[in-house]
Parts: sequence; C-alpha cells; structure tokens
Amino acid sequence: MAGRRAAIKAVDWVAFAERVPPNQKAMFNNLKTRSDAISAKLASLPEKPAPIDWSYYRKTVAKAGMVDEFEKKFAALTVPEPVDTQTAKINTQEQESNKSALDYIQASKARIVQYEQELGKFNNMIPFDQMTIEDLNHTFPETKLDKAKYPYWPHKPIADL
Amino acid sequence: MLSRLVLTSGSALKNSGSFGACVVQASRSIHSSPQSKAPLPPLPEKGGKIRHGIFPEELFSLLYPKTGVTGPYMLGTGLLLYMLSKEIYVINHETFAALSISSVIIYGIKKFGPGVAAYADKLNEEKVAKAQEVKDVAVARLAQAIEDEKKEQWRVEGRHMLFDTKRNNVTMLLETNYRERLHMVTSEVKRRLDYQVELQNLHRRMEQEHMVNWVEQNVVKSITPQQEKESIAKCISDLKVLAKATQARAAV
Repeated sequence: MAGRRAAIKAVDWVAFAERVPPNQKAMFNNLKTRSDAISAKLASLPEKPAPIDWSYYRKTVAKAGMVDEFEKKFAALTVPEPVDTQTAKINTQEQESNKSALDYIQASKARIVQYEQELGKFNNMIPFDQMTIEDLNHTFPETKLDKAKYPYWPHKPIADL
Repeated sequence: MLSRLVLTSGSALKNSGSFGACVVQASRSIHSSPQSKAPLPPLPEKGGKIRHGIFPEELFSLLYPKTGVTGPYMLGTGLLLYMLSKEIYVINHETFAALSISSVIIYGIKKFGPGVAAYADKLNEEKVAKAQEVKDVAVARLAQAIEDEKKEQWRVEGRHMLFDTKRNNVTMLLETNYRERLHMVTSEVKRRLDYQVELQNLHRRMEQEHMVNWVEQNVVKSITPQQEKESIAKCISDLKVLAKATQARAAV
C-alpha cells in the first residue's frame, strides 16, 4: 500500500532559503509554515488504524452472525483514495515558469555581455594622462564640444561650465 | 620658442598635452587616420632639453665629438664678437631697452614660473582625478551588475524546489485525507460493535435486577404469620442467652 502514490521528495529548506531573493522572503516564510503544518499533521496520524479484535466481539456479542457479517463487509470494504486534482496544474505551472526562466536567463546573459563590453572598453582605455582632447572625445563621446551649435567659445551654454 | 623658455623655468610642468613638441603632435594626428593601427607612443612629459633657456641640447651634442664641451660656447662667443665688431648688430638705444625688458621678464619667470606651473598642474590634476573617479565608479558598478546578474541566474536555477514543495504538500494532504478516512471507517465499525455489546450488557443487568427484585418480593410475601411468631420467640430466647453470657462476663 505504500507505493500507491508518488513518494514525497525531500526538500532542502536551507538551500531553498538561500535562493530566495530578499523581496520574497515573506512569501517563503508563509510557504514554509504551511508545509510544516501539513507535514506535522501527517506525522501525527498513524499509517494504519488499530485493528479490530474480532474474536473478542465474536465471544461477547450474542447475535449470531452479526460479527461475522461485519467482519466480512469490513474486509471487503475499500476506501477510495482521494482524487489528485492539483498536480497537473502544478506541472503546467512548472512548465510555464521554466519557459519564463529561460527567457529571463537569456535576457540576463545579453545584459552580462553588454556589461562586459563596457567593462572591456573601460579596462582597455588609455590612461587619462596619456590622452589628448581628441582621444577623450573618442572614448567619451559626450565630452565632444558641439562647434556647429555653439560656434563661439566655450562651445557650450554658460550654465554648463 | 617662447613656450620652451616657459617650460624650463617652469620645470614642475608635468602634463604637456597641448604644449607638447609639435613634432609629436603631428605624428599623433597622422596616426589617427585609419592607415596604421599601431599603438601610439606615450605623450612626452617634458619638452626637448635646452640649455640657458634658449639653446637646444641637440646643438651641444652635435658639436661635442669635434669640439668637446667648450665648442658651442666658443662658437657663440665668436659669433657674438663677429656681429659686434663688424657692426652687423649695431648697439643703440634699443639694445638697452631690450636688455632691461628681457632681464625683467627673465626675473619674473624665474620667480613666479614654478608657482604658476604648479597651479596649472593642479587644475589639470583635478580634471584627471575627476575623470578617473568617474571611470572607477563606472567600472565598480559594472562589475557589481555582472555579479548581481550571475547571482540572479543562480537563484533562478532553484525554481524546481518551489514546485517540489508544492507537489509534496499536495501528496501529504492526500495521504492525510486517506488515513483519516481509514480511521473513520474503523472507528465507526468499532462503535457499532461496542454499541451492541453495551446493549447486551444493559439487557443482562436489567434482567438481573428485575429477577432480584422479584425474588425479594416473593420471599417477603411468603413469610407467613406462623413463621413470624416462631422467629420472634427464637430471637427472644437468643437474647436471653446472650444476656446471661454478658452478665457472667461482667461479674468476672
């Protein structure tokens, strides 16, 4: 009777807690308390109910056949297992989250490439005391003075000095 | 040439970006065309070496092999004497004006040159330091951003744990429900059997009590007056015997 449903997978709560980002800690704590409550409830129930002492009842109860009838019916009785409606939903949720996670990882990798590009630009730059103004304008295009818009020195609005 | 004069006395000048020797500047602008990608030589810190504020060192090193150390000085003295004696250069009032003005200028530069140069350098240093700070901040920010992205990716990898937890919860709830049902069935059957047993016990007890009562009643009814008189006489005789025995004991 033990293998009639999926075995309970051991969850490493410590590792799980590490991976939770700080803004979702409250949700994680709620989940943990609920899970602990459920597992405590499960642990408090023994797996099989105490067996009924049929011989005692057979001796005590006077009515003929009643105990035998009960025993027969009891043995023949099968308790229906509760139907699992949620696991399918959870599985679809997991598929979706896998997809969105892959997308996120792609975007994150693109961002990392971009950051590394900029970092490379900074690291390969010539040092500032070797630069001329031309080199500065080449490395940081925002320092280039717009001589067409402001033809007279200082080539930028006075307020920006 | 005047810039070189400024340069020697202001020997504290380090950064000579725009003062740099025009030769080097030209080579830089040549290099910025897309013909050669070789890295540029670093900008020179100081201008060409000069002696006595005007004469470049190259002249001295040019003449050194043939005429030794005193060669250029002899050349200069000779040229000066030649120009004076042949009156190619005529001494007039402008000579004295030139001498006075140039002595004042030289005195001024020698005295204030280093100060001005230090001030200009300080301004430049501040600009460079600011740019360096901007660069450092940007580099640190980028490195931190890369670290954060990697951390987020690592976090995302743990998403299966959430779903495992959910499935576990569902399984546990189902299991709990099933066990509760089993327990309920057993306890119900047991209750029914216990009820029957209790019922039987009750019947038996009631029968017992009823029988005892009935027997008592019958016995009481069956005590005839004849038996009563006999039992009372017996009681009296018993009491007399007891009294005699007690008196005897008290006398002793």
